Amino acid sequence: MRFLGFLLRRVVGIAAVMIGVSVITFAISHVIPADPVAAALGDHATDAQIAQFRAEYRLDRPLPEQYISYATGILHGDLGKSIRTRRSVADDLADSFPATLELSFAALLISIVLGVPAGVWSAVSRGRIPDYVVRVLSLAGGSLPVFWLGLIVIGLFYYQLGWFPGGGRLDTFVSPPPTRTGLYVLDSILAGDVEALRSSLVHLVLPALTLGYFSTAVIARMTRSSMLDVLGQDYMRTARAKGLREPVIVLRHALRNALIPTITIVGLTFGSLLSGAVLTETIFSWPGLGRYATASAVSLDFPAVLGVTLLAAVVYPVANLVVDVAYYWLDPRIQRG
Amino acid sequence: MSYRRSSILFVIALLVAAACSQPPPSAGSPTPQATGGAASTLVWYADTSDLISLDPAVAYEFTGVLLAHNAYETLVKFDGADLSTIKPALAQSWDIKDSGTQWDITFKLRSGAKFASGNAITADDVVYSFQRVLKLNKSPAFLFTDIAQIKDTSIKASDPSTVVISLPKTASPQGFLAVLTFTIGSVVDSKDVKTKETGGDSGSGYLLDHSSGSGAFVIDHWTKNSEVQLKANPNYTGSPKPALGGVLVKHVPESTNQQFALEKGDADIARNLGAQQITALQGKPGVVTTTGNSLQLVYVGMNVTVKPLDNVNVREALRTAIDYDGIVKDLFKGGAKKVQGIVPAGLAGYNETTPFQADVNKAKSLLQQAGQTAITLELLVPTGPAPGGVAWADLAAKLQSDWKNIGVTVNIKQTTQADLLGTYRAQKGQLVMILWGPDFPDPDANVGPFTDYAAKSIAFRNGWDDKTIAAKGRDAALITDAAKRSTAYKDITDYVLHNGPYVVLYQPTEPFGLRSNVKGFVWSPMDWTDFAAISK
Repeated sequence: MRFLGFLLRRVVGIAAVMIGVSVITFAISHVIPADPVAAALGDHATDAQIAQFRAEYRLDRPLPEQYISYATGILHGDLGKSIRTRRSVADDLADSFPATLELSFAALLISIVLGVPAGVWSAVSRGRIPDYVVRVLSLAGGSLPVFWLGLIVIGLFYYQLGWFPGGGRLDTFVSPPPTRTGLYVLDSILAGDVEALRSSLVHLVLPALTLGYFSTAVIARMTRSSMLDVLGQDYMRTARAKGLREPVIVLRHALRNALIPTITIVGLTFGSLLSGAVLTETIFSWPGLGRYATASAVSLDFPAVLGVTLLAAVVYPVANLVVDVAYYWLDPRIQRG
Repeated sequence: MSYRRSSILFVIALLVAAACSQPPPSAGSPTPQATGGAASTLVWYADTSDLISLDPAVAYEFTGVLLAHNAYETLVKFDGADLSTIKPALAQSWDIKDSGTQWDITFKLRSGAKFASGNAITADDVVYSFQRVLKLNKSPAFLFTDIAQIKDTSIKASDPSTVVISLPKTASPQGFLAVLTFTIGSVVDSKDVKTKETGGDSGSGYLLDHSSGSGAFVIDHWTKNSEVQLKANPNYTGSPKPALGGVLVKHVPESTNQQFALEKGDADIARNLGAQQITALQGKPGVVTTTGNSLQLVYVGMNVTVKPLDNVNVREALRTAIDYDGIVKDLFKGGAKKVQGIVPAGLAGYNETTPFQADVNKAKSLLQQAGQTAITLELLVPTGPAPGGVAWADLAAKLQSDWKNIGVTVNIKQTTQADLLGTYRAQKGQLVMILWGPDFPDPDANVGPFTDYAAKSIAFRNGWDDKTIAAKGRDAALITDAAKRSTAYKDITDYVLHNGPYVVLYQPTEPFGLRSNVKGFVWSPMDWTDFAAISK
């Protein structure tokens, strides 16, 4: 019962965030001194075409009225029509979101698999060479621009070495698996399509590494510092005094406790992966939400920009909610509190 | 522990079971490819983010037009890159008759022509296709409604192989033939499309990502944001027959990526290479670079409602001061052609005269005649790269320094193209640098907007209301005799060259990278290529 109350409070919180985000984004996109009509219809449009366009997108109505009709649409699952693609924004999002989700999951997986052991290794060898290596690499991860890193990665692993493909989700002559989830890896497993599975996995490597480098660095640093905290605790001394072997002490006793702050970071990182995807997707020709967002923003396609923003506004708190729920079950102190 | 292990096993078992079962039919997913594979498929890398629809009545963007052009045939066409002479296509002949109150254009269809479906092409298909354009009334429809001024009732089939289209006397018959070479003039398979109509959409839902035409290729599938696959049309009755089995257009927005893929042999043709990539490709094994012409013009509009731009000598001085050769040779390094008239090279009516080239003394004396010594003006400039691959800002800096030589101070204000157009349309710019491309391949598509204030296009935006030249432009559009029309346009362009409010800077060219085994590639200034002519 208490858990339900907790969940309910969070869901109400998410709804409030969405209303706030939609109002702010709507306001910003409508007060910027640029005309989406000129962007959509171009140089040659006649006055009649412009008037028709304004009426179609309700740009001729007062701002509050525009917002109310937009918000009413959202409640009916209608995110409006994109100015650029002339399709429903909901359809556009449904087309591009799975690709971003797949890329973000892969990047997250890489960050956890590489970041946590790196952090542990760095902590247990504090002040020695492995520690310095991890710290330098994670400092670089926090400071390298994704765009630059992506081009270097493609230049090296695709252009020079030829180990991995240079972009896209599949090889040129491999057909996508039948759409069930839109995640190619999952869909090709479901369809039993080995060729599509292999192709989609190798295509994920470079973009996921590029996108995941930043979060790997963050996770490694967080794991390192919380490991150092835990390793200094009294119960560590007790464990050692009991004569437990070092790997058991580090992995069972220290890491378990050190992981709690790391889980928080993982939740936050997932949100930042979605925003990092904007540049990564452009470099790697990845047909996802990031590229959709960029193209929409450039052409002042505000229904699409609003749709992307709202989606991000849902994903971000939902990821945090998942983390909180995980806490709730993992850490008994939170349940009592 | 054992619970976790068993749940993992359960998930694996589920996956295996799903893998063994037949996948459900999925409406949205493309059909597996049955083309001849890599050897006979041309792989075309391009930024296709502009793609909205493959329907010829809807498409008005570069990618959509390129693809629809290859999937459909039109009544008349231009051959390759030559836009001076209109040639037969689905119509084997045509005849323009002045019937007193209107122009009647009669088209005789080529016998034996077939759609990809195998259906014969009849006059009814032409009538259906053109009426469909009017009914849908999408972006390119103004070419029919405003330029050709035709209505539903203007298009008639007088027998199964004859179509008669009537134009009011205010519309240009030559201009209409030029419009018909564009994808909006595509003939769709009416028998097929009628079966695909839902909710009065004239089949536009189906033609969004399918084709139903008689072009050399058919649309196999379009995976949004990823690729469009064309396959050779086995029933193609035109010529030449496609040498390729298919064309795969891959969406690759980054030009460095396009360059890498071309060098690695993953791409056969790269569409969006910048000056940097073209330089990097020079001398690389297995790769060649080439250029195609475009019909765009980059120019500076001078708003004559702003003093002292109302003075014709000031405008002439600004034109005279600029180092056009430096722009073309040093700045664009071959990515641009020196053109100073308002009709681009490649169109009928192109005026080759280029009288201006950085004459500082002459420009200064023109300013003296105008009684001007110190002038300060604002130059509006878009952000990003200008056509031809140089940043708009760099081009603006060049103009600024050229004008400084004659004592004219120009403050550069950079803004997004959308924002710039807003100011320009409202007649609120002073000097505005921007590009123009004709809506249809006919001199009237430039002369009209550049001379006719009442058309509320370019002349209006610069406040230039010269009724004599506007009337001459309207008259020239209606001339049916090619030689007489050409003379009329020579007079008009000569006049605008020295009296108009424009500094035409250059005509850009388009760079392409090709694998050296790709043969027969010709880029048309209409922004397309005939894939049927390409082999590899």
